[in-house]
Amino acid sequence: MRKLVIKRARNAIILLFLASILCFTLVVSAPGNIAILIAELRTPGASTEAIHIIEEELGLNNPLHIRYFDWLSGVVKGDFGISYKTGESIGEAMAGRLSTTGTLVAGGFAVGFVLSFVLGFAGALRPYGFLDSLTRSVALLGASTPSFFVGAMLIYAFAVELSLFPTFGFVGPQSWVLPWITIGILPASVLSRIVRVGLEEAMSKPFAITARSKGLSRNMILLKDSLPNIAPTYINALGAQAAGMTVGTIVIEPLFAWHGVGDLFLQGVRFRDFMVVQAGLLIFVCFFIVLNLLVDIAVIMSDPKLRRQGGQS
Amino acid sequence: MIMFRDITETISKLPKLAIYLVFFFFIIGLTGPWLTPHDPLIVNLLEAGVGPSAEHWMGTDHLGRDTFSRLIASARTSLVGMSLILAFALTIGISIGTLAGYQRGKVEEVLMRMVDVGQSIPSLIVALAVIGIFGTGYWNMVLALAIAWWPGFARVSRVVAVNVMNKPHIESLRVLGASPARIFFLHLLPTTIGAVLVYATADAGALALSIATLSFLGLGIQPPTPEWGQMLVDGLPFLESDPRQVILPGLALTLVVIGFNFLGESIALNRVPKPLSRLILKRRRFETNEWIKE
Repeated sequence: MRKLVIKRARNAIILLFLASILCFTLVVSAPGNIAILIAELRTPGASTEAIHIIEEELGLNNPLHIRYFDWLSGVVKGDFGISYKTGESIGEAMAGRLSTTGTLVAGGFAVGFVLSFVLGFAGALRPYGFLDSLTRSVALLGASTPSFFVGAMLIYAFAVELSLFPTFGFVGPQSWVLPWITIGILPASVLSRIVRVGLEEAMSKPFAITARSKGLSRNMILLKDSLPNIAPTYINALGAQAAGMTVGTIVIEPLFAWHGVGDLFLQGVRFRDFMVVQAGLLIFVCFFIVLNLLVDIAVIMSDPKLRRQGGQS
Repeated sequence: MIMFRDITETISKLPKLAIYLVFFFFIIGLTGPWLTPHDPLIVNLLEAGVGPSAEHWMGTDHLGRDTFSRLIASARTSLVGMSLILAFALTIGISIGTLAGYQRGKVEEVLMRMVDVGQSIPSLIVALAVIGIFGTGYWNMVLALAIAWWPGFARVSRVVAVNVMNKPHIESLRVLGASPARIFFLHLLPTTIGAVLVYATADAGALALSIATLSFLGLGIQPPTPEWGQMLVDGLPFLESDPRQVILPGLALTLVVIGFNFLGESIALNRVPKPLSRLILKRRRFETNEWIKE
């Protein structure tokens, strides 16, 4: 097991390195001269000399590999450079917005986790019954409806018509409910199918039939014996959904006028603020690679076959 | 004739609802300009925000543009965008994936690492980053989504190519003295293209959704070209007074995505045994039989 974990970790580190090169080349290959943009920002109508000074300052005349390592050592310390538009430090702006995005993702995660088990179990209690087809249709609808449409409909129903929650803004727990549901519906739908299908598969295995013939109730086996069986598949899917939710923040934060990391990234994209795009991309990518590694490790831990077996995978 | 039977056989195995939805989308997308009762671009402030009537079947938006016409015109925008993006992404993905599957070893290692990095980042983030660097615009959106989508296709085509390369008929071809180019272009590539096209159908729903999402964020299809995501965001400020402008494009988009997702799910469940690749293999078998006779 340890060998397996080390192998996965090594792969993740290689991926992180490659991803950082990708982020770096993206900005280097961008059309236009960065120094001119910064000079314009500091003093409108800057002279050629001022541009040269900034070029020196940023080390833009250095060879590419030196620029890469300069940039990388800054990034490791949390220094992502400054935004061309606002002139503020990107690292600080990101740090200030992390709690908003964290609230959104954590809430969506909780909604998705709880709802997926509720829907999945409801379907598995009596396969192909009424409840099963109902939860299946709900899941299909939830998985296919665009999140911004779900959000807009929730705002219309609960904020405009019923006035239960504020339409937008980040003002206390009451304003968190709608964004949480919006972001949690997609993972809940996808994961509920995983729970439902996994439970049915586990119930057809010999151990479940043995338990049944020993006189245990079906629901008891479902809860106690079958549930651990779906863990590896579920964790894998949960990881994929967590990544999806992080992408979802980019769409849902602007819809509810929350100022989080996704919103910052989107502003960067809108105004072609290369440094913000680069920083956002790097942060997202690092998050996904670390998330994948954690998921891999969790799957290895939850699967007894992989846990006992040594290095082979 | 054999070809038609194969295709109809395949279609008969798919869920009816999905077929109807996707078929309907294609028809509307292809014949859109002849179906619209009004020009979807004409602004008429005198009739802004009116409800459904005989003149405007689904009312008009805040600028007085006919909603029904705009919904229909959006299908074409979506369809054309999807086709362009798929064409680019499939070309890059299939060439790189097939090459990796054919030329094992170092080449495969390097190519597949690139694919790994591309796949470790969700496609929407890649697309946003590319747009952030090159700016907004129709062709930039196409380029961005193609760049985001090719790694998935490359991975699938590599798997198929490796499978085909391990089959005995390739070895027989080598023994018969077929050149590498012949094996690659006539025996390997057609098979991977067939298999990946099926996979692409399963992915088309996600692609339609991405186009709409980018347009919703104001980074995809630019006004005045009508597009569902963009119609939805246009209607958002008037959610209270005129929710129709949000609900209708949202529903249209959801139906298309449901159709493609349904189709993709049944393809994933292997109800369709790779129709195109099977067709192509059948023809190849015939060809080799001819050779043996010679």
